This record gives sequence, C-alpha cells and structure tokens, in this order.
Amino acid sequence: MDTLNQVLLYPAFQLGADLEGWLAAGGGQGLIAALAEPAAIIPTLREADLRGMGGAGFPTWRKWQAAAEAPGAGKFVVCNGNEDEPGTFKDRHLLRWTPHAVVEGGLIAALATGAAHLVLYINPHQAAAVAEMRRAVAQWQASPWLARMERALGHPLDIAVVETSGRYIGGEETAVISWLDGHFPFPRRKPPFPAQSGVGRAPTLINNTETLAHVPHILRHGAAWYRALGIGAAAGTKLYSLSGDVMRPGLYELPMGTSLQELIFVHGGGMLEGRDFKAVFTGGPSNTLLTKRDLDVALDFDSVRARRSRLGTGAMIVISEGTSIIRKVAEYIAFFAAGSCGQCPSCKAGTFQLARLLDRIDGGRGTAEDLQALESLCRILPGSGRCGLIDGAVTVVESSLHTFPDEYAATR
Amino acid sequence: MRAIPATRGPRGAPPPPPPLAALLQSNALLDDAALAGATPLRADVLVLGGGGAGAAAALAAAGAGRQVILATKLRMGDSNTVMAEGGIQAAIGPEDSLQHHFDDTLRGGHNSADPHLVKQLVTDGPAVIRWLIGLGMHFDLEKEAGLGARLLRKKAGGTTVPRILSHRDVTGLEMMRVLREAVELHPRITVMNRCPAVELLSDDAGACVGAVLYDLEHRRFLLLRSPAVILATGGSGRLHLGGFPTSNHYGATADGLVLAYRMGARLRDLDSFQYHPTGVAWPAPLAGGLISEAVRSAGAWLVNGHGQRFVDELLARDIVAAAILREIAEGRGVTRGGRVGVFLDTPGLLARQPDLLETRLTGLKHLAHKAGFDPRREPFLVAPTLHYQNGGAVIDPQGETTIPGLYAAGEVSGGVHGRNRLMGNALLEIISFGRRAGAHAAARPVAAYSRGGIEHVHRWQRALAAAGLPRAPRAPLLYPDYAPFSLRQHAAA
Amino acid sequence: MDAHTPPPPEAGPAAAPAAGITLVIDGVEITAAPEASILQAAAHGTAALTANIGCMGQGVCGSCRCMVRRQGERQVETRLACETRAEAGMEVSFIDYFIPEHRHVYDIAEVTESWGLLDQLNAIFPEAAHCRHCGGCDRACPKGIAVQQGVALCVAGDFDAAARGFDECVMCNLCTLACPEHIRPNNLGLFVRRATAALTLRPIDLVRRLREIEQGAMAVEIPPEAGAGAAPAVEHDA
Repeated sequence: MDTLNQVLLYPAFQLGADLEGWLAAGGGQGLIAALAEPAAIIPTLREADLRGMGGAGFPTWRKWQAAAEAPGAGKFVVCNGNEDEPGTFKDRHLLRWTPHAVVEGGLIAALATGAAHLVLYINPHQAAAVAEMRRAVAQWQASPWLARMERALGHPLDIAVVETSGRYIGGEETAVISWLDGHFPFPRRKPPFPAQSGVGRAPTLINNTETLAHVPHILRHGAAWYRALGIGAAAGTKLYSLSGDVMRPGLYELPMGTSLQELIFVHGGGMLEGRDFKAVFTGGPSNTLLTKRDLDVALDFDSVRARRSRLGTGAMIVISEGTSIIRKVAEYIAFFAAGSCGQCPSCKAGTFQLARLLDRIDGGRGTAEDLQALESLCRILPGSGRCGLIDGAVTVVESSLHTFPDEYAATR
Repeated sequence: MRAIPATRGPRGAPPPPPPLAALLQSNALLDDAALAGATPLRADVLVLGGGGAGAAAALAAAGAGRQVILATKLRMGDSNTVMAEGGIQAAIGPEDSLQHHFDDTLRGGHNSADPHLVKQLVTDGPAVIRWLIGLGMHFDLEKEAGLGARLLRKKAGGTTVPRILSHRDVTGLEMMRVLREAVELHPRITVMNRCPAVELLSDDAGACVGAVLYDLEHRRFLLLRSPAVILATGGSGRLHLGGFPTSNHYGATADGLVLAYRMGARLRDLDSFQYHPTGVAWPAPLAGGLISEAVRSAGAWLVNGHGQRFVDELLARDIVAAAILREIAEGRGVTRGGRVGVFLDTPGLLARQPDLLETRLTGLKHLAHKAGFDPRREPFLVAPTLHYQNGGAVIDPQGETTIPGLYAAGEVSGGVHGRNRLMGNALLEIISFGRRAGAHAAARPVAAYSRGGIEHVHRWQRALAAAGLPRAPRAPLLYPDYAPFSLRQHAAA
Repeated sequence: MDAHTPPPPEAGPAAAPAAGITLVIDGVEITAAPEASILQAAAHGTAALTANIGCMGQGVCGSCRCMVRRQGERQVETRLACETRAEAGMEVSFIDYFIPEHRHVYDIAEVTESWGLLDQLNAIFPEAAHCRHCGGCDRACPKGIAVQQGVALCVAGDFDAAARGFDECVMCNLCTLACPEHIRPNNLGLFVRRATAALTLRPIDLVRRLREIEQGAMAVEIPPEAGAGAAPAVEHDA
C-alpha cells in the first residue's frame, strides 16, 4: 500500500468547508464513537500514543487528562493555529482543506474535558484558512451535532474562530491565554499551567491543529489501527513540511518514523540540481540540525531526539553543500530576535549578542574569543526567559556548534 | 628633554616623566606592508577622538558644509568629557567680566599659559554656553525656570568670582550625550567607532594630509586622506605616571602626543600634570575615581588623621593636592584597608545642608551607593589622583599646531592652561577650541588632497637607528598595560 | 605640584591577587580581586579590552553593558559591568555597542516651534505611541530609570517631567535593545531633554553678557608680563 497521504491528507478528505461531504467520506464516525463512550476517549489516545504535533511531542492524553481532572467550570479547548515558524506550513493546510477534521477533533476534546468553549485560534496571515474555518464552524453550529454535544456535556458549547495577533510569540501557550483574555500576547512563567489556570482562569487545553486533526480518525478506527500506521515503535502518521534545496518541496504525510533519506530522496525527489546533501534544519520552537550521518534516522520524536536533535513540527529545511550553516543559524536568530516580545531583557539582549557573534564568525572576522563568548552565552541564557523563546534560539546555536564544529573551526 | 633624536629650539625644557618620554621616542606601530594593504578612504576633515573636543570640531566642520569623518578608538562619547562633574566656566555674572576670567585663568596657571589662547578661551565663554543651549544642553538655574531666570553659578577653586555653570554634578554627561546625539544625527558626519589612529600621513611639504586608522572590528588598516586632521585624542592618565591612580577614562594613553611629536609638532609643558585633590583612596574598588570639586565647592571640608582641617579647600587644585600629600607624607593621613588618604567630611557638609545630596550632588550619591555606604554617616577617604595633562601640542588661537593641516583641541593641546588648570576651564576649552579648529580646518582648500605617506616615520626611524635605538618600543600604546595587546597579532588574526 | 614628582600614595589599579574570586567573562575564566567590579576583573584579564570599556567605573559612559547570571540563578540581568561587583561563579557576557537599524533623524535647530512640539515628537518618534507596556525597558535599565513611564510622559506632552525622568540616562541603549516596538526610549528622552532646553532656556544674565560682548564692552587686555612663566616647548629634529 502506498504510505503517502493515508489519513490527514487523504485526497477524499480535502474538501474545505463541506460538512456533508466530510460526513459522506466517513467523517463524524469518530465523534459518534466518542459520544457513545466519552470515558474511553483519553485511554484510546493513550493507547494510540498520539503526541503533540506542535513540536513538543508530549503525550496528548496527559494534557487532556490534566484538563479533564482540573476542577472548575467554563473550561476552554483551544486549537492552536498560530503556525509561524520558519519552514512549517502544515496547519494552514489542514485549516483550509480539512477544517471539519480539526473541528471534530476539537469537539471530541471538549467532550473528554467537559469544556464549554472551543476556540479555533488562527493566524490572520493565513486569511484563506480563517475564512474557510469560519464557514466550517457555521456549518457545525447549524447542524444537529451541536445539540447532541451539548446534551452529552450537560451545558452549552460555544465554538468561536479567533484571529491571533499574527506574532510568532502568540503561539506560546501562555501567550495564547493572554490574547484570548484580551491582552497583548505576552507569555508568562509556568506554573500555573494552562490546565490549571488558563483563559479567564478556567482550565484550558491547548492543542496544535495537527494533533486535533488526528483525533477523529483515531476514535473512528481505533488505537491499534493508528499505532500500526507508524514504523517500528512510532505510532500514526506525521505531516512533514519539506523545503529547501530539494526537487519537490511540499507537504507530505508519511508514517511516523519514515527515514529522512526516504523523505528527501524518494518523496522530495532528491537534491536540487544534484547538489550534495549537507544538513537539515528541523523546524519548530527548537530548531536543530541533522546531518549526512543522520540520513537513516527515523523521523519520529524519540528517534530524532536520540540524535541530539528534535523532530519539532516536522519541518525539514534541506541545506546543500556550499551553504553556510552559520549564516542559516544567524537567520534563525534574527527571526527569534524579531519575535521576542520584550518582557525579558535577556531575550532581546541575548539574541542581539548571539547575532553579533555569529555575524562576526560567519564574516571571517571571528576569533577564538568570539567563539568562547558564543559558547558561554549558550550556557548563560537558557531558562532566563518567561517562555522558551530564548531557549529555542540557544538550541539552534548549540545544535550547530555540536553538529558542525568544522564550520566554526576557522575561528578556533 | 633627554631626547633622542635631539630636540630643537630653546634648551632647558623640563623633561617629561620617563614613561611618557619613552613613548615619545618610540617606533611606529605601522609598517609599509600594512600601509600597502590598507583600504583607502577620504574626508574633507578628519577628526581623531570621540570626546567633547572631537564632537565640537566635527559639528563645526560639518556645519561649514564639509564631509567629516570622526574616528575614535573606543566608542563615540567614551571620553573624559562624559566624566566631567563640576562644570564649565563662562564669565556671565554681573560682577564678573571676561577680564576677570582671563586674569584668574592666567594666575591659576602660574602665568605660564599662552595669553592669546587664554584671551580666546574666555572671550568664547558666553557664546559657547549659548551654542550648547542651542544644541539642547540643560544648565542649572538659580531659582525657578522661566524667562528672566539666571544661571546658577558656583565658585571654583582659585577663582575670584562664582563662574562655574553646571548641570548638577553630571555636567559632562549632559554635555556629551547632547554632543554625541548631534554628531550621530548629522548628515555630513560619519562616526567610525573602534578605529584608533596609528599614524599620521604627511606630504612632501611636511603638511599633515590624513591618518592611518586601524579598524578593530574588521581587523584592517584604513588609509584616510584628508586635507585637515584634528587631533582630539585627549590625555594620558592611563599611563599612571608616578604610580598614581587616575580619574581618566580607559583610552587616555597619550596617543595623540606620540603621533604629533613623531610628525614634528612642537609640544609644551610635558612635565606638567594636574592631580585632582579628591580622588577616592578608599573603598579600594573605586580607587582613583573622582569626587567632584562640586562637593568641596558646596562646602565640604578636608580633615586629616588628627581631625583637623589643614587647607582652604577652595584654593587651586595643585595647592590643595600638595597639601593632602604633605599631610600623608608627614604621617597625618588616615589608613583604611591599606589605603592612605585624608577624610572628605561629607557627614559634616550634609549635616549643615541636608538636601544637597538629592538636589546638587547626585554624582556623590551614586558614588556612595556604589561604595555601599551612606555619605551622611561615613566620610570618603581621598588622595590626589592623576587627572589632567596640562601640556600638549602647541597651537595657535585657531587650533592649528606647528604642522600645517594638523590641528589639536582639548587635552592633547598645550598652552591654554599653562602649568595648572582651573576647574571648569577644560569643558570650556574643548568646545571653544574644538569649534575653532573645526571651522578653520573646514576652510582649508579641499583640492589640496595629496597622496600622502609616512616619509616622516622613515626619517624618524633613521634617526632612531642613528641614535642606537633601532628596537625602541612601539607606540601609540592604544590601551593601558593592564592586559596584553599586540596590534600585529590582532591584525594577523 | 608640577615642580616635583610626587610620591605615589598607592599602587595603580589593583592587580588581581592570588586569592581572589573566580568568574567567567565571555567564556574566559578570570580571577579577580575581592570587591573588584566585573569591569575591573575583565580589564585585568588575559587580553586588553578594546570594547565595552570607557569611563571605567564612574558609570556614565554606558559602554560596559553586559548580561550577568549569578551562580545558581536562572535570571539574567542587564547591567553596567563597572557598577556591578564581581562574584564567584558569575557568568558574564558583554553586549556589543549598538548599531542602530531604525534612526530617528532630526535637527534640533529645526525644532523651533514650541506650539508644534508634540506633533514634531510624534512625527520623529512615531513608534512611541505604540508602547505595549511589556516593561522590558524598565527591567533592562541599569540606572533604575522609570523608562516606560518616561515614554508615556513624552507621548502625553508632559515634557518637563519626561526630561527630568531621563536626567540620569547614560545612553547605554539597553532600553532600545529591549524594546520590541523600536521606540528607542533613550533617544526619545534625549530628544525631549534637548528640545526643552533649546526652546525654553533663556538665562537673562547670559543674554546680557552676550549683548555686552557684541557691543565691544568686554575687551580683554593682555598685560605685558602675561605668560612670562612659560617653559620652552620641544620638538624633535629628525
């Protein structure tokens, strides 16, 4: 069987805001199963080993359980569609082309946690996704499904599409809460975690768009089916945003655990203009590097982590020989510097100084002292911010230092 | 001067302290290979130095329509100017006059200053204040602000009339941040930070036609041709002459003197330095730092180990400093944490005038905060600190040195103060002569661009060899010797 | 005083004694004298400092800005190295001097219309009205200035209070570095300071003296014996 685009990107599901079409294609079955036995939802996700697709790879069921167990009324489920990191372009596709899978996943989450609000939090830079989702939500609200949900919940369920601030930092969980509370999306320190105190201080579950999109399929076909989709110990499928110096960049759904080699050279059509493969930046909140040695790595959360890298959002930005890694890292740092919200001086000053040192080293003006200073900054900065942005910036620098020491060697 | 090569002109000039003499007789940092690979640049006027004098010169030259490059070793504004606390002299009081200011200045300098320069200085005074206000500098007023207000005037040691104008006790900071902003926003001024001059350029006729800079950020030499060069490189406190601590900024290493002398400029009063009477002796981490004369001006007493006052605190600086050294030498000093000095009685002053700390002595408040004690309860221990290079390059009233095309303004020049400087005359000098040098340099014909080279350095090196000194140390020093620095290694890295 | 070489009352800047405290500055382990500032420790390190150093302790030049992490702490503070005492186990990273990307260009000589000052401020510093009150500038300021409040005062046109608020600013640019809205608070504050002085400071004693000079009533006479005490100048004859 072809392993490409089996579930999320399955052609028959790419319908846009067409609820009838979605139901005709087998949509709604997951929600029916969930309504039939709400108590089984979380154990099913646990058995399926569904992970957070926003980059963390954290077991989804744990978050759901925390939100379900948290005392308090008026709970929120938020579908995080702020997607804004370099090289990631998966959620916008799901929101635009399979909005009903996303909403259905959100409804199941609301059922599992007893939520009274489902918020689809979407980056306004993706205007088509916002518009399509508004239509999709209207269709659900006009359908008998909402009443069935409310009966099962025992209270009304409000579904809303909210445009995000469009800022990178707005995707951070506590920034999501701040924005939905009507404030600028400033992150804050955790705890309290959103499951304890989120939007309007109510328990809040925040999941990545892709994570929620998987849920109806899992409930419909069962955990065993989902696990079997993955390769080896990995479960399910994953969306990979492939970009950079390859022949066929694009969005690919493949079994979780597909090798990097297969993604690039089979699905991606190999390297652009026959160049030599050099490295991949894995995209997401913590950008890391994979190299030639890692072409055999299985692209799942645990296998990639074993190579001291991170799967992240599944974005793979392919770099060919002749490209300066340090230059690319500097571009990431510039992105983080621009995205820093300003609350923590160490984040703004840290990204500034990282950029200055990288610029000097990449420009051939760096010295052993600059490199020492860079390594020192990587020790000083982590953990100094309210959110993980500065940690993400340090991670990409550290990963490049560890993976491509030769690039820095000229300055040693 | 035990000069090798020999000095010309009248004999009997007192010799500079040996470390300074060694620098003046040093060899060049630069070699022909570095020169050959240097990146060429041009300016109508080149200003060397990023303190107050350099800024004033650059603004004047740019104001006259010239394209100006201001190159500085550290960063624009990192200078002694920004550290100046006390104030600036200008004779504006009704009982004051330019003549009084002239007489006080000449007397304070033991009648050794160039009277033509002093006349120029004092005459410029009021116009300098007006120019600074026009740039946006604040000055303290006597009472409330408003039309009809008068400037607050304080009395400096060694003057007959209150003449010091100030912005609290951070006058230099207020002046420098205004000047720096004006320079950095000026469309015809390019600031080059971290670009120290390592040699001047001369033409066949012996005129100065530019300078060789070293760009620390890009590790390259720059060959900057300009028909006029203004030295505003400041003084030499960081040589720690005589083993003294210093109140000077990090870059005060006599670079301008070395370059000017090597090119053949006439220098004067190289043996004459001002020791500020009230440098911090204790607490140790602040040693050498300055306690503004404003504190004595406000009425603080100096008290020896026997609890006695021993000098009129408002006499000229050299007299007060000598008195403190005498108390210490004769065993009447106070020792604390291994440091010897005398008390500056801030508790007494602040008991008499409790609101001073908040209103006028904010610098003292900060210093005490850094020291970690309350100046209302505990006195500082003070001893003289190396503060000012009285001498320097001989200039005319337009700021030009004895080398055509080479100007000097501020501490690097000599003759304005003679052998002792009054408080408040340095800030006046840098603006007065900085602007004069800038305006005069701007008037030099731009067409006079010359190829320029370092033939004067070759002549100097031949003379060193003839004198048996082929391996003289290399200078300018650029940085104090607290930690090693080698320009060659830096450029090769 | 200049007639003799005075005896040194003490040594020059204290070199690090053997038994000092150890900290890491830009990745280099440095042993410093107890009570030394971070800057003193760095200046007496393994290589001469060529940047991030200016007034060396007075705290007025703003060059020695750095990030400091104390042993065992998560927090990283922005400080001036000359005003921060070195501590064992500290990690320090100096911050390069600022190369502005967004400039607010004005010529103070053209700010002449006091009725229109607020409009000019908004035209030159359009970002100032966009403050998000993240508080980063206040946290970044090593001088404890209420920067955010100062920006608000500028935008409100409360110019005298704003000017006072920025009185102790040393232009280290840390607030500008911290600001996500590119407000450049220190430059904004300085603009207001400059404008208020240039537009309103008209000391009558200075005005009168300038008029006297203009009218030739303030001549300076050089007495014949003036400058007689000067020592000969020197130049080399190579």
